[in-house]
Amino acid sequence: MAANLLRVSGRRVASILPRREVSFGYVDRLDYPAPPVRFVEESALSDESKALREKEKGDWSSLSLEEKKALYRLSFDKSFSEMNVPSGEWKYIIGGTCVGLAFAFLIYGFQKQFISPPLPPSMTKEWQEAQLKYNIAIRNNPVTGISSQWDYEKNDWKK
Amino acid sequence: MFRQVAQRVAGLGRSIIWSNSAGRQITAAQTKLYSSQAEETDEQFDARWEAYFNKPDIDDWELRRGLNELHGHDLVPEPKIVIAALKACRRLNDSAMAVRLLEALKDKAGSHKNIYPYILQEIRPTLDELGLSTPEELGLDKPDPSKC
Repeated sequence: MAANLLRVSGRRVASILPRREVSFGYVDRLDYPAPPVRFVEESALSDESKALREKEKGDWSSLSLEEKKALYRLSFDKSFSEMNVPSGEWKYIIGGTCVGLAFAFLIYGFQKQFISPPLPPSMTKEWQEAQLKYNIAIRNNPVTGISSQWDYEKNDWKK
Repeated sequence: MFRQVAQRVAGLGRSIIWSNSAGRQITAAQTKLYSSQAEETDEQFDARWEAYFNKPDIDDWELRRGLNELHGHDLVPEPKIVIAALKACRRLNDSAMAVRLLEALKDKAGSHKNIYPYILQEIRPTLDELGLSTPEELGLDKPDPSKC
């Protein structure tokens, strides 16, 4: 019952869809030179193309270059050289990345300006200078650190 | 009595263990453990594919499957395989596939620009015999703007 219903609805959908020109399952891929079907659907062939197909059954020397090319285009959409044409996609990728970055910086700026609390007083220059003086005064880290670079006799940085 | 039996059994067990381990060592030295099949030589590979395409009643599906599989190998097929495939296209009246096959060869050779002219030179008699044109003669090596 369900299978029957499915089949009927499938047929209905198929009748609504426009008739296909391109065969189902046709793909142009560099690593797959012979797709399982020809490009133009057998039922969509024009009389001219059908005549050409008949002519193909004879000697191929009698085919002109245009006819050979037409036969190729009936079987395949893009040639290898057309598949190999650069798509220019890198431009979209770089452009899109820049847009994303700009948007992120906008959010960051907005947040810094309007949302985040002000920085603590220990981030000010005066505070940090005072802190440096204090560290020197208490001779903090005299072997490798800040006090090792301070000359206590001359009261200046060691040269 | 019991000691005798125990010694016999121990000796038997030892001989089994020793013979087993010795046997395993020999097999390990003699055969590769990862595959039961012998490796195919290049000549066998070429002969196999030539015979595949030379099958007199090859059908459309077999031709396409063969071309796709051959394209998947890390090699460009020998001219004799190409000739066999072209003749298979002739038997199936599919000139488009013959042109496609040449295009695929050129693409497969990649940056080795000397391979494709060599193959063309080798298969030239067959091309003339079948009345085939190369993709270059058909202008398919230049992209058609309407297709891109």
